[in-house]
This record gives sequence, C-alpha cells and structure tokens, in this order.
Amino acid sequence: MLTVQGLAADYGDVRAVWDVSLEVDAGEIVALIGPNGAGKTTLMHCIAGLHRPSAGSIDFDGVALHTLAPHQIVERGLVLVPEGRHIFASMRVLENLEIGAYSARARRARHATLRWVYEIFPLLKERRDQVAGTLSGGQQQMLAIGRALMGLPKILLLDEPSLGLAPLIVRDIFAVLRSINAQGLTVVLVEQNARQALHLANRAFILEQGRVVGQGSGAALLADVSVQRAYLGLAVEAG
Amino acid sequence: MKSFGRGGWRLLAVIVGVGGLAAVPLVVARADILNLLFLVFLYVTLSESWNILGGFAGQVNLGHAAFFGIGALVTRGLWLQGWPFELTFAAGGLTALLFAMLIGVPTFRLRGTYFAIGTLGLAEVLRITTANALPGVSSLTTEYVAHYDLAARYELGLALAAACVLTAWLLLRSRAGLGVLAVREDEQAAQATGVGALPHKLVALALSSLFAGLAGGAFAFYHISYYPELPFTSSWTFDSVLPVYLGGIGTLWGPVLGAAVYILVREELAVSLVQVHQIIFGALFVVVVLALPGGLVDAWHRLGARRRAITRISPP
Amino acid sequence: MNPQAVAQSVVFGLFVGGNYGVAAAGLSLVFGVLRVLNVAHGELLMLGGYVSFWLFTLAGVDPFVSVLISAPVLLLVGFALHRGLFVYVERLEEETRIKNSLLVSFGLGLVLQNLAQWAWTADERSVNTTYAGGSAMVFGLVFPYTRLASLAIGCLAIVCLDQVLRRTYLGKAIRATAEDWRAAALAGIDIRRTYLLTFGIGAALAGVAGSLVSIGSTVAPTLGAAWTLKALVVIVLAGMGSIFGAFIAGLLLGAAEAISTLFFGSTYREVVGLVLFLVVLLIRPQGLFGRGPR
Repeated sequence: MLTVQGLAADYGDVRAVWDVSLEVDAGEIVALIGPNGAGKTTLMHCIAGLHRPSAGSIDFDGVALHTLAPHQIVERGLVLVPEGRHIFASMRVLENLEIGAYSARARRARHATLRWVYEIFPLLKERRDQVAGTLSGGQQQMLAIGRALMGLPKILLLDEPSLGLAPLIVRDIFAVLRSINAQGLTVVLVEQNARQALHLANRAFILEQGRVVGQGSGAALLADVSVQRAYLGLAVEAG
Repeated sequence: MKSFGRGGWRLLAVIVGVGGLAAVPLVVARADILNLLFLVFLYVTLSESWNILGGFAGQVNLGHAAFFGIGALVTRGLWLQGWPFELTFAAGGLTALLFAMLIGVPTFRLRGTYFAIGTLGLAEVLRITTANALPGVSSLTTEYVAHYDLAARYELGLALAAACVLTAWLLLRSRAGLGVLAVREDEQAAQATGVGALPHKLVALALSSLFAGLAGGAFAFYHISYYPELPFTSSWTFDSVLPVYLGGIGTLWGPVLGAAVYILVREELAVSLVQVHQIIFGALFVVVVLALPGGLVDAWHRLGARRRAITRISPP
Repeated sequence: MNPQAVAQSVVFGLFVGGNYGVAAAGLSLVFGVLRVLNVAHGELLMLGGYVSFWLFTLAGVDPFVSVLISAPVLLLVGFALHRGLFVYVERLEEETRIKNSLLVSFGLGLVLQNLAQWAWTADERSVNTTYAGGSAMVFGLVFPYTRLASLAIGCLAIVCLDQVLRRTYLGKAIRATAEDWRAAALAGIDIRRTYLLTFGIGAALAGVAGSLVSIGSTVAPTLGAAWTLKALVVIVLAGMGSIFGAFIAGLLLGAAEAISTLFFGSTYREVVGLVLFLVVLLIRPQGLFGRGPR
C-alpha cells in the first residue's frame, strides 16, 4: 500500500534521513521505533507532504506522494496525526473534528464519520462544545486522532501518540488503534515507547540516525535480545 | 618598509577619491554638476545610514524619512531664527536621535513589526502635523540668496557622506559591530551567548538616525525654499532603501554604489518621464527585494563565478 | 467646555472610528493568517474610494450602493496582487517573510500611489449626494444620516466577516491556518488557496472602508499612507488577530482623536494615535484584546 524507496531528507546542510526504504501492506499495523533524533518525525513529515525529500520516492496505492501538497495527500486517504497533537486550541472540540473533514471526499461523509468517531471516543461527544485548549493531554490526543479519522483515511500515521501521557491512557489509545485496525484501517505508528508499540504491531522497523537498521515482526523484535537491551530497557524505565 | 597590502591600496584609493571630490569646486564652476554631486552625497548618507540599521542590524525601518525630516525641521527652524548654522546642524541630528530612541526603546523589546510600524507612524504623523502647523513655504531671504555659497554646501555634503561611510566601516570593525551583526543573524542565539540584543539594536539605531538627521540638516542648509512637510514624505525613505538593495544590503560600499547609480539614472529619466519614474523604480525595488537579495553587486559576483565555472568545465 | 460639545465631538469621532475599524480589520486578518504585514493596505482603501467616486461621477451610482461593487472589485485586485506578488513572499520562513513583506508592500504602496496620481491627478475628490444634509437629533446631539448609514455598513461588514469566520468551512480553514498552518495542512486544508482567499477578503474590506471614506471625506492618491497608519495603530491597540477588537479599538481611536481636537485643536490630531501606540506598547504590548505577545 505504502512504499518508501531510498528516501533522503535534509534540513539545510544537515541530513536527517539517509536512504530509508520500507513498505506497509494494507490492513497492517507497522511500528517505527528508534531513539530520539533518528529521523522518524522527518520521515513522517516527508510522507505527509510537509517536507520535501531530497532523494527517493514515496508511493501510495500507485500514486507518487513526494510531489504533492499535504492537502492533496489527505484527499488521497493518507492522514498524519503529528507529534505533539497540534489540535486547534482556540477552537471547540466539534470545530476541530469538523476541520478534520475538510477534504471534499471526507466532507461529503462527515455526518456519518462523526457518528463513528463519537462511538470510538464517547468523551469527544460529551465535550464537543468545550474549547480544545482546556482538554487534558490524553483528551487532546484522542481529539487529534478523532480529527484525523474525520478525514476518512485509508492509512493512519501517528507520530509519538504516547508522548507525555499516563500509561493507562496510552493503553486505551492503543486499544482504540487495534480496534480501528480491525475495521480495516492500516496504521503506521512512530513510537519511543517501543514495548507497547511492538506488542501492537504486526511488523516493525528500527530507525537509527536516519537509517533502517532492523526490521521484523512485532513478536520477533520483542524477543530479540539486542533490541531488548537497546530499546526495551529504556522503555521499562520510562513507563 | 612594511608591505602595503591590498588594504593599504584600498585606503589610499579612498583618500585620493575623497580628496579629489573635495577639490572639485576649485576646478569646476558649473552649478549643475555641483548640485548633482551634492544630491549624490545626500543620498549616500541616507542610504548608508539606513544600511547601518537595516543591513548590519537587520531591523527594517520604514520611516527613515522621519529622522531626515526632523533634522531638516529643527535645523531650518533654528537657523532661520538666527542661530549659528553649525549649532543648528548638530541640534537637528541630535533631535532625530532623540525621537529615534523614543520609538526604539518601546519597540525593540518586541518583534520587528512593531519597530517598522512605529517609525512608519512617526514619519507620517510628523508629515501631517508639520503640514498642519507650517503650511507655508519656508524660504531663505533674498539677500541671503545673493551670497549663496554652493561650494560650502557641496563640501558639507561630501564631509557628511564620508563621515557616514567611515562610521559604518568603524562599526563593522568594532566589538559593538560584531554584536550588531550577531543580532541580525539570530537574535535569540545572540541573546543566549550574552550579546544583549536591545543595546546593540539601539546603537545601530542611534547612528542611523543621527546621520539621517544630519542629512536633513544639510538638506535644510542647501534648499532655498521648500514646503516643511516635504522631507517627511515616504519617498525619502524609499530613496534611502532602494540604493541599499541595488548596491547590496549589509555591505559597506553597496549603498554608496547604489546611491550613485540611482541618482544618475534617475536624473536622466526625470528629464523625460517625470511621474512614471517613481512607478518604475518602485517596481524595480520590489523585484530586487524578491529576486536579488544580495543586490546588483552580489548578482554580478555570482554571474562572474558562473562564467568562471563554465570556462573551467568546457574543454580547451 | 460643556458636556454637550464633548459628547457631540465623541459622536463624530465614533463615526470616523468605525471606518478605522473596518480598515484595520482587513489588515489584521491578513497579518494573522499569512504573517504578511501589507503596508500598502491604505492604497487598497484609496482604490476603493476611487471606485466609489468614479461610479458616482460617471454613472450616478449611489455611494452606499457602490460599496457592493468596490468590495468585489478589490477582492479581485487582492487576488491579483497575491498571485503576482505576495505569493513570493510567502515562500520565505517567518522572520524573513515579515521583513520582506514590509519592504515589498512599501514599494507596492508607492507604485499604487503614483499610478493613482498619474491616472487621476492629485486633486482631492469627494462624493456629494443630494441627501447629504439631513440628520437625526437624539438627546440634543446631531447624528447625520450619511454618517449613521456609514457606521451601520461598517458594523455590518464586521459582523459578516465574523459570521464567515465562525460558521463557514472557509472561515474555519482561515482560523485554523492562522493558528497552526501545519496542522491545518495535515487536516486537508489547501494552505495556498486559503492564503489567496484571505488576502482577497482583506483587500475587499479595505475597499469597503475606502468607499465609506469617499462618502464622509475626500479621496486623493495620498490617502493611502494616512490610512495605513491608522490601521496599523488600531491593530496594535487592539492586539493582532482580533476582528471585533479591531473595530472597537477603531472606535476608541476615533473618539480619542475627537476629544483631543476639542481641547488641543486639529493641528496635532495625528499625534494622539502615535502616543496611544507607544503607551500600549509600553504597558500592554499584546493590545487591549490580544491573546498574548505574538
């Protein structure tokens, strides 16, 4: 479904991503794990159209993404939930959700989609008139995901959804991701919280310093001793 | 004897150049040449002074005419009252500096837009208020005009322009200057390394406004009659900024080159096109800001580099 | 100084202030969304004024009706200016963008002013309708009908803008883009198009303000500079990013100028705005209604 080939991306003179290649098949949950500064966010920004790659290609269902603007990519069904949530704090919850359905395709179906999002996150329905900036971190993350779902994505990308959230909330969110994946939505998850991500994912890639240094099924990587030492040890301390 | 070096030759060239220009009135009696050169000197001062703040410190000043106008207003006013010219000249420059601080201190703490708005506002407010308060033409008495010494004005203009360029040069070589440039590059980074952004911006502003005010004083000394609001009009700001971008913003000689070219070309066009020339130059300015941020000097260098690169690649 | 004279003065000040508010609202909108400060905004207003003047002089169109024409005309002018010029400024990142937008719009303003002078001469123009004289008397204060109508139209324009921003999808897109353009892009909003439309709307508001100015006052090529200044002072007073705040701050400025004129004469009227500007920056830089230093 999504194929990244030989991607390279720079910030001025600094290269953040070197020659990254990966594929995501329809219906999968794929995790991207790795330390801070590995280039994971840059990679997500390139895929979503916020950053122009310096080399390589990104292909989604036969369409080349790396020349498109972000809104065109959303129209084609790829939606990113950015790191740090980035909800529109001055607007109400419902308005945030409505904006998520901005693209023509999503706007047509927005009433039905909104019902679906309210089922997944009942709390968003309760607080629909609340100003988004007054929500807690976990609630904002749910709003960010809800807004992304309003765009009727075929594939959902999430950049560090667990960042700054309590473990219980993280568990709830990951449960939501599992359930919407079961409904057919492909999920790509960038996470520092490697343990939970690997439990959730079918497959995972390990990124370090802008390169893919390992890949495998979620279970295999969880069991791998070197992975445990490098990433899961840290995860245990943090969460 | 110590080697003279490139710097030495440059300095010699400058001294000879300035000396030569100073000697012009001894040799040339034609008023139109002296008038034209005076105008060039005035514009060099205006441009170089804008460059000190805009090019070195990176602060956009859309109201440079305010300082020019204040200098002109104060100098003319006091001089016509009978004060000795030298005193009024200094007073004009210092008053401009004072007003500059009035705007700079509250606005430099904040983002760049506030300073631009403040100076733009100052210029426009002073223009309208001056037009309200002094609607009549300010004229020198006919007996004074009979003894009008163009050479003196010429020399004043030259001295002022030379002093301004010299000041810019000294600033670049000083520690304060390093701080100013650091603030332009990255204000937050500069602040973090202990280079106080506010004092450095104020230093640049002080020098910039002082010379603009003195230029205003020179203008007041030079013109026989004019409407007091004239020096406050935004076309003076434009005439200060365009040469800087033409010649190369942030460089020492860019504004000098730009001013000279601008005046000479403009005087040629003004004969034939009058109003249209402001439209043309306005459009040119917009194009230069967007397309040639380094100015003509930089474009020339880059063109030269490309030519050299091409000749290197192509076969013998 | 009797209270009646002061009140009457304030009333006239509010009428003028309403126009300040409409002029400022357009500028505030554009700056809030595009982060581009268009100091040629006053020249757009001037063009709106000329549209009304020429429609009245050549075709007898009532100036209040011509507002409906100058708004779309300036909308198109705004689109053209954006596509032809400001789109190049937007490509830059924020710090350089603001600086270059100042310089570029400064040059643009001069070009527009000179074009107007070349095309229509520097003469001051005014629109003199037959019904110009009538007025209403309330509490012993005079409320000229034309001024009332102008204020009403100004209010209406602001309310329309607010409704568009709050209720329509375009309005939501504009607000989202102003707040966080990356998140807006990721939500599927076409940022380029939003910028274009916002700039157009800003220009249209300038056009409306210009038409209102032609009714109450005179129009000349030099009008632009003075009105840009007013708009800038008002948005600093109000705080960037607040539309209703801009309108109210406009009214306040108008009233303050009127009172100052009453006590100190009209010569130093412009100084009031500058003083208020400096005072606000010293005491409350985010403005009266602003959300925080931006």
